[in-house]
Amino acid sequence: METLAALPATLWQGLQGGLILCLEIALVVVPLLFGYELAAAYGIFERPWPRLKPLLARLGLGPGALMPLLAGLFLGLVYGAGILLSLSDEQDLPRQERLALAVFLVTCHAVVEDTALFMLLGGSALAMLGPRVILAVGLTAWLARRRRS
Amino acid sequence: MEARPFTPSPQPWRGALQKGAARSRAFVWFLLKTLLPLYLATEVLKASGLLAWLAGYLAPLMGWWGLPGEAAAALCAGLFINLYAAAAVAAPLGLSWQQVSVLGLILGIAHSLLVETAVVRGLTPSYKMLTVLRVGLGLAAGWLLALVII
Repeated sequence: METLAALPATLWQGLQGGLILCLEIALVVVPLLFGYELAAAYGIFERPWPRLKPLLARLGLGPGALMPLLAGLFLGLVYGAGILLSLSDEQDLPRQERLALAVFLVTCHAVVEDTALFMLLGGSALAMLGPRVILAVGLTAWLARRRRS
Repeated sequence: MEARPFTPSPQPWRGALQKGAARSRAFVWFLLKTLLPLYLATEVLKASGLLAWLAGYLAPLMGWWGLPGEAAAALCAGLFINLYAAAAVAAPLGLSWQQVSVLGLILGIAHSLLVETAVVRGLTPSYKMLTVLRVGLGLAAGWLLALVII
């Protein structure tokens, strides 16, 4: 009975808390969305980035995989799905490269947005992002090495 | 979700700002729809004592990750719905930064499994194995992180 009487107060508190959290998230993510669109419009995800080439090779990825990788890494699997899938088809990525790309991206994607969200709740960026990057790079590199030998 | 045309227009920023505004509007609407009901539901469950009762059963399991039993609800919301849903459930729980980090790491690796697995399926036929790998890696990494920081 006591809890029932407190229901309006609980709902009010929840509404306030929820709206504040929405506002906080929107303040972080909306600038990111504009940033992504600007980056895409100026072709950041399409540039060859020659310095990354040797790094990609160690991951078993050719130059064609760079665009889908950057799209997934920064935009996320769902948001970047359109680019990810159409580019992988367009670049005619071989089966093994598609697998390497998928292994990397399932462990590590939408890195800015996801990390920022949990940082809002008080999490540490290093603790949340570090292991993801290490796992993604480690697993993909291991897969590439195993394929070569 | 559709592929963007990659032909540069004379003023790329104009289209980008328009697209950004459209994306932002859709995002805020999505946020309110996902987050508010779950946040409210969590507050009500918490106030009614139902969450604490359920958490009592899950506490030994969640203890592996240094998390309270209540965090199981946030974990499920993240795995099956998305990270924003997980944030909505986790926010009222009053977790420490270490606990948020562990939850954030597990869910960062494995989240939105229903939707994202569909995307991965378009990339490789090994999508089922990869989904199992994500959940396993997420739980293992979270367990290790909890050992280190909690």
